[in-house]
Amino acid sequence: MSAVAPGLDGLLLTSAADDHNKTGFHHRHTCAAAELPAVARAFDAAGYYLEMLTAEDRRAELEKMRLVYTWNVLSNTPDRHLVQCDLEVGATAPSVVAVTAAADWMEREVYDMYGVRFDGHPDLKRILLPDDSDFHALLKDFGRIDGGGDAPVADDDGHAEET
Amino acid sequence: MPEEIREDDAGAMGESYYLNMGPQHPSMHGVLRLKLRLLGEEIQDAEPVIGYAHRAHEKMAENRIWPMFLPNTSRVDYLSGMIYNLAYCQAIEKMLDIEVPERAQYIRVIVSELNRISSHLLWIATYVMDIGGVTPFLYLWDDREIILDIMDRVTGSRLTYCYGRFGGVTMDVDDLFCEQTSAFLDRLVGRMVEYDKLVRKNVIFIQRSKGVGVIDADTCRQYGVTGPSLRAAGVAYDVRRAEPYGIYDRFDFEVPTLTEGDCLARYDVRVREIEEASKIIRQALRDLPGGLVMPEKPKKKFKPSPGETYFAVESARGHFGMYLVSDGSETPFKIKLRTPSFSNLAAMPKVLRGTMVADTIAIVGSIDIVLPEIDR
Repeated sequence: MSAVAPGLDGLLLTSAADDHNKTGFHHRHTCAAAELPAVARAFDAAGYYLEMLTAEDRRAELEKMRLVYTWNVLSNTPDRHLVQCDLEVGATAPSVVAVTAAADWMEREVYDMYGVRFDGHPDLKRILLPDDSDFHALLKDFGRIDGGGDAPVADDDGHAEET
Repeated sequence: MPEEIREDDAGAMGESYYLNMGPQHPSMHGVLRLKLRLLGEEIQDAEPVIGYAHRAHEKMAENRIWPMFLPNTSRVDYLSGMIYNLAYCQAIEKMLDIEVPERAQYIRVIVSELNRISSHLLWIATYVMDIGGVTPFLYLWDDREIILDIMDRVTGSRLTYCYGRFGGVTMDVDDLFCEQTSAFLDRLVGRMVEYDKLVRKNVIFIQRSKGVGVIDADTCRQYGVTGPSLRAAGVAYDVRRAEPYGIYDRFDFEVPTLTEGDCLARYDVRVREIEEASKIIRQALRDLPGGLVMPEKPKKKFKPSPGETYFAVESARGHFGMYLVSDGSETPFKIKLRTPSFSNLAAMPKVLRGTMVADTIAIVGSIDIVLPEIDR
């Protein structure tokens, strides 16, 4: 595990080493939305690639939408950084497409599924759902099956439990 | 025809025009639509349009308890479903700290690598057919069928396996499985020599793929391209080596790389990966220990402690990552599937720009995309 987070001084709100064997991350950080492009530039300059970008609907507990980035290196000494960024509901985030092309489709997917808009994205439009959809599918208040957690499960004899 | 195509309805000489390739094009693996802007036969812009096979796997995950997502996983990529299925099992085992017995670990490696071979065989078969060679398809299908029969016997399904359980695998393998697998690997050695003569030495195949669709290492990093396409560009990145999961650190295998980065290099890398996968299976069969494959009945309901977990495996197409978020309840708060084909396809607009329309299928086919895996 590399000990130094590359060029991120002053850009992060919190930063800590993480246990890769337990969580799969080597480092975890949080940052303010305004710093996202600078964080992306620091990783990009250090030879990292944007492995994953997604969001979480944290409105119920935090009244926030959370963006989640993971940056990693394409080598045999992996160094996965988890970067979380909490946004006010309805706020936009700066796009990092200008830094790394991978963000193009990933930001479109986050917009498609969570409705988070990215300022500066060259062509922010839906990617997986139909263009004329009037919903964002991964928001918690969309398409929730009540009691999903209590869905019928086979009992030990293989019969479906009554719910 | 959609509005956006009609507005540039060129046709006049010297002007660019749009051509839709797919989603029903016979060579367009699954349901990919490529919106091409052409000047003559040269591609000026290519825009992949995806989502036709979106089945909302990530949404489904949030509406069911953790174990109920297990059958979804192999449907994400039906051509190497075993690898995806076991990825989820291993991610959950990591979250809950579940021990997996040795025998099950070895069986997992054997079936995963068999699955990788069958996926690569299918890719060679369909790729060669895409660029005009129908005969090899039938031979390769014949080989792949043997794997499917072996897998069917032990897992109960031909493609969409749900063989893994948290803490083991559903069914044990027997001596016949080991014999059939060894016999298949022996047969495959000779068959690969034949394919070398039939495909790799074919001058038409070489001319269609050599120097075509070059993806360099920096483009791969820019777009997050992984798997054989990345290794064909000279980067020796393989999750089995970089972040060994299961018992992959015990096997002796190479990570084949080439530097050309063209369609031909991607073909060569996959052929060599078939050989490496065979090597791994032989070692696993040799060392396969006895014992149970599922010592404890897996729990039907459990509550992982709150937090985020990332688990990556090397699928036949590249880095497949699962980002699992638990809020401490019986249902996942979120499951994000980081699928390799999504990132691999994202690089296509850059790669296709400036190439000839006749090469489109040769290039897009060469990255081995599986659309349901992109659309999820």
